[in-house]
Amino acid sequence: MNNDGFDSVADSTDWLATPLSGLSAVEAALRCQICKDFYRTPMLTSCNHTFCSLCIRRALSADGKCPLCRAGEQEMKLRSNWSMEEVVAAFTQTRSAVLDFARKPPPALPTRTDTPKRKTDDLVMDDGDEQPSSSSQQRSSKRLRSSARLSKTRGIETTAEMARQEAHVPDPEPTPVEPDDGLVACPICWRRMKAVQVDRHIDTSCPGEPQPAPTPPAQLLRSSSSKPTSLTSVFAPSSTISSNNKPQPPPDRLPALNYSMLRETQLRKELVEQGLSTSGNRGMLERRHREWVMIWNANCDSQRPRRRAELLHDLDVWERTLGSRAPTGSRAANTGAQIRDKDFDGAAWAAKHDTSFKDLIANARRTRAQAQVTTPDEGDGKESSVNETINISDDETKTVKPTVEKVSDTLGLLDTERIVGVSVGDPPTIIQLEEGKESEPVPI
Amino acid sequence: MAQTTAHRRLLGEYKALSTNPPEGITAGPVSEDDMFVWEALIQGPEGTPFEGGIFPAELKFPRDYPLAPPKMTFLGEIFHPNVYTNGVVCISILHPPGDDPNQYEHASERWSPIQSVEKILISVMSMLAEPNDESPANIEAAKMWRENRADYEQRVRDGVRRMLGL
Repeated sequence: MNNDGFDSVADSTDWLATPLSGLSAVEAALRCQICKDFYRTPMLTSCNHTFCSLCIRRALSADGKCPLCRAGEQEMKLRSNWSMEEVVAAFTQTRSAVLDFARKPPPALPTRTDTPKRKTDDLVMDDGDEQPSSSSQQRSSKRLRSSARLSKTRGIETTAEMARQEAHVPDPEPTPVEPDDGLVACPICWRRMKAVQVDRHIDTSCPGEPQPAPTPPAQLLRSSSSKPTSLTSVFAPSSTISSNNKPQPPPDRLPALNYSMLRETQLRKELVEQGLSTSGNRGMLERRHREWVMIWNANCDSQRPRRRAELLHDLDVWERTLGSRAPTGSRAANTGAQIRDKDFDGAAWAAKHDTSFKDLIANARRTRAQAQVTTPDEGDGKESSVNETINISDDETKTVKPTVEKVSDTLGLLDTERIVGVSVGDPPTIIQLEEGKESEPVPI
Repeated sequence: MAQTTAHRRLLGEYKALSTNPPEGITAGPVSEDDMFVWEALIQGPEGTPFEGGIFPAELKFPRDYPLAPPKMTFLGEIFHPNVYTNGVVCISILHPPGDDPNQYEHASERWSPIQSVEKILISVMSMLAEPNDESPANIEAAKMWRENRADYEQRVRDGVRRMLGL
C-alpha cells in the first residue's frame, strides 16, 4: 500500500523536465482518458476511441455514451485493440530506462558533434520523413539491435558514455539488405512470400528448417549467416502473441441481466451461482452483480486473463469503496474502518496523534476538576462527569460539556482516537483518571 | 488496501498538477491521507474585476470519480452570477450529463470521465472572466452584471480588496 507514493506515480509530465519532453505527448496518447493510467486491455468503441475495457464498461453502464464524443455506444460493440496493448507493453517496459537516461546530464557536447554518424542520426530524429526509405529501414534495424544490446547491459551501467560508444561501433555484420520485392522471408525456412501468408505457411507447409531458397536472391544468400538473429527478432513479437492466443480460449462472457425482470430470489440465486456475497438490499445485489459482470467481461477481453481469485479481489475492493462495506461518508466512520483494518499501524497513529490524546486527557482532567469544584459533596455527580469526559467519542457528544465539544470539533476523529488511545496509548493513565479521583493527576 | 481507480487517478492528477501547473492555478488534496478532498487556489483573471484576487475553493470528489463529477465550493466571499451565495459553483462542466435541470446546457459542455481537475479549474477561471447569465446562481449578481456593469465590477473589486484585507 503506497498511499503517499507521490514520486512513484508515473505520469506523462515526468518527461517535461527532460530533453525528451516530446515523449510526454507520446505517453499521454498511451493512457486511457478515463483512468489516466496506461491502457489495460484497451477496447475500441464504434466511434474509434480507445479506453481500458473496465473503464469503458463502467462509463457505459453509467451513461451509455462514449466519454470522448458522447456518441451512443453499447458494451456489445466494443472490440479489442491489441495493437495498442502491444505498444503500451513495449513502452512501459522501456519507460524507466529511457526516463533514467533522459534525466542524466547530457554527455560533453564536443565529442558528440565530431562523429558524422551521430549527426545523421540526429538529423533524422529532428525531421524524420526526409530520409529515403531504404536507409531508414537500415537505420531502424540497427537501432533494434543496439537497443537490444543496451538492455542486456542495463543494470551494469547504462551511462551516456556507453551509449555513445555503442553508436560508434561499426556494425559487426553487414546489414542484410532486403530485396525490394514486397515479400518477406519465413523466419524458419527462409522461403519468401507475402507477409499475410507467413502465419498460415508456418502452421501448414513450413518444412521446419532453413531451406535453400528456390530462386535465392544474391544478397540474401550472401548474408544468410547473419540473418537469423535479425529476422527472428523481427518476427518474435507477433509469433509469441499468436502462440499465446491459441492454447487457451477466452472464458465465456457473462450475459447482462435485465434486473427489473428478475425476482430477488432469482437474483440471489444468480449471485450464489457466481460464488458472490448476497448481503445487502436489492439495490446492492444488483450493483454487485453488475460490477461483477463488468469485471468478468473485461477480463474476457484480456489477452492474459487473470485468475478468478484475482477478480474476486477486485470485487472486494469495490465492495469496500463503493459497495456494501463502503464508508458511510462521515470522516470518523471512514477512519474507524481504517483502524479496524488488520495491518493498521497503531504505533504510528499513536505517535501522530499524541498531542491530541494529551489535549483530550488534559481537558478531561479540567472538566473533572470543575465538576469537583461545583459539586464538592456529591460523589455520584463526580463519577458521572468523569464518565462523560471519558466517553466523549460517543455519538451523543451534545450531552458532553462545552469545553469537550470544542475539542471534538477540532479533532473530528474522536471515535478512532478513543479506540487507539485505549489500545495503543497509555491505558494506565486513563484508568488512573477514572479511579484516582482524589489523588493528583499523574503526568503522562 | 488496494487502491481504487478513483484514488489512483486523483493521485495522478495531483502529480500532474504539481509538476506542470496551469498558470494561476494551484490545487491538491488537503491531506494526503484523504485524496477525496482538495483545496484549490485560483487567481483572478487579468483584465477582469477579479484581477489581483486569490480565490480558495474546496473540491469534494465522489467515490466513483471520475464517473461522477466533484463538487466545488468557493471558501471565501465571491460575488459572481454563477456562484451561489454559499460559495457553490454552478458551471456546466460540473453537471453530470444525465440530469439537466436547466434545460439549456449542451451535452458536450457537461461532465464526462475524460474531464479532469485541471479542466474544471480552467473552466472556472474563464467563468470568472465571462459569466453565463443564462443560468444565474446568484440572481442579484446576474442582474447587476446585465444591467449595471460598472456597479457590478465595483462590487467585485471591493470584495477582492476585502478578501485581501486591504
